[in-house]
Amino acid sequence: MRITSGTWLILGLLALWEASARLGWVDSPNWPALSQVLAALAADMATGELPARICGSLWRMGAGLAAGGLAGVLTGLAFALIPLTARLFGVVVELLRPIPVPAVIPPLVLFLGLDDPMKITVVALTVFFPVLTNTLQGVQAVEPDSIAMGRTFGIGPLRRAGFIILPAALPAILAGFRVALALALVVTVVAEMIAGEQGIGSYLVLMQFAGRAPEMYGVIVLLAALGYALNRGFVALERRLIAWWYAAGREAA
Amino acid sequence: MSLTRRTALAAALATPLAAPAFAQGALTRMRVSVIPVLDVAPLHAAIREGFFAAEGIEIDTSTTAGGATGLPGLVAGQFRVVFSNVVSIMLGVREGLDFRFVSGASRAKDSPPDILALLVRKGSGIRTGRDLEGKRLASNTRNNIVWLRGMAWVEKTGGDWRRVNTVEVPFPQMADALAGGQVDAAIFSEPFVAAALETHGDRLERIGWPMSETAPGGTNAQYVAMADDLARNGDLFDRFGRALHKGVDWVNERQGQPALLELISAFSRVPLARLQNTALPAYPKAVTSAELDEIVATMTRYGLGGRYPASASLIFRTARG
Repeated sequence: MRITSGTWLILGLLALWEASARLGWVDSPNWPALSQVLAALAADMATGELPARICGSLWRMGAGLAAGGLAGVLTGLAFALIPLTARLFGVVVELLRPIPVPAVIPPLVLFLGLDDPMKITVVALTVFFPVLTNTLQGVQAVEPDSIAMGRTFGIGPLRRAGFIILPAALPAILAGFRVALALALVVTVVAEMIAGEQGIGSYLVLMQFAGRAPEMYGVIVLLAALGYALNRGFVALERRLIAWWYAAGREAA
Repeated sequence: MSLTRRTALAAALATPLAAPAFAQGALTRMRVSVIPVLDVAPLHAAIREGFFAAEGIEIDTSTTAGGATGLPGLVAGQFRVVFSNVVSIMLGVREGLDFRFVSGASRAKDSPPDILALLVRKGSGIRTGRDLEGKRLASNTRNNIVWLRGMAWVEKTGGDWRRVNTVEVPFPQMADALAGGQVDAAIFSEPFVAAALETHGDRLERIGWPMSETAPGGTNAQYVAMADDLARNGDLFDRFGRALHKGVDWVNERQGQPALLELISAFSRVPLARLQNTALPAYPKAVTSAELDEIVATMTRYGLGGRYPASASLIFRTARG
């Protein structure tokens, strides 16, 4: 890997972390040195407990992402293509959108319980809005010419939506998913912190109560790495899915 | 002939009732809301030692970071049983929620050390509740047992509790907040007392025991269930109570022994070395009218009064000594 200035900055900050704990600049047991944190993280990975919890969290996140994403894309398409739906539901969506998801967790607990259905719904709700907004804008930005051309060739409205509009709007939709992905991980952990024994979130609470700061920060470091890896993975996927868009972009530039 | 047949039928019907232990694979699942604290040691002992399984019950514990989701979850039917502190339970009862005590969980010991301690910075000169007037006192939550016993301690040591500014600070952050000067005093519960003295012992000191100094042996926390669930499934809760109380016996027989600390360390993840300096509560089985009357009187004294039902009516048969 090529070492860029950004990498040096991260290494510098990590070194500062280590030094601040070792040299007592921050004198608290709740500020363990990076080396202790990594040792604790390695120990918890080795027992197999943490990998199992990560898998559980990723599964919940993935399920919420899929459900919320699909709903977002379908609603976005409907809003853009069938004006009546936008008139009917647009206001409702705009009213619900600014509500912070953690604020609606208590009613969700009431209706959906404390298990996976509640946690996945929380993630799906978080994912829904950025995907919806981006889908809507992506569809509205599709060149009218290509839609008109489809119509000229006698392609029906459903096939037009699926084979002309959706691919053309895909770059915007994927941008929405990228925003949603980062939020999804955050919200999954928050939902797991509320109740239950599964996932990274509950592990964070447990370690906080047990006063085990190195383990707690170990999970936080892990979450940072996980979020970074997910984003990198998504970008790679994006480049394959809409290679034509990047190619066109490069030509234009 | 008909007599034997009837006997056989009766025996067949009675078997599952008389010997739930034989109904393997048909365990009744009960979800219990807990907090990862020392008080729930008997529950974990009963799970680990198979006392619940022997009664045909499978316990599914759900850990919450505080009382915030436990009691509402009970009302919403998410939990069959909730572990909570007595003040939060009684405030729910005051609001008309049909909580019933199914078992005691923990209470203060008669003399120090007890599970709550009041810590200040060394050299701050704060010694009594009177010194705390106009100062900032941290409690993990307002209007719970920690806060209530803290206010009682302030008054007992000559202060006016209304003049003390209570600040909500979660237990895990209390030692830093106190050492860093964000608060002037803090009411810690174990094992956070032991943790704070272990790590900040050069800067913090203990000046009081809010429980044993204001209410020796006083009530602290219990297990509750909903009245209608108890009315419909009394037998299940009888079995729950029996199993839990075997867990209480298990714990009480091992006071001061490594086996108990190992159990607590296993479910709470608190390092074993720290638990050796940790004060444990007393683990009662029963809930008495007297302790509920005491807490209602204390709550009324510190601004949490109201119309409370007769305390005896709140105690389910499993919690009667």
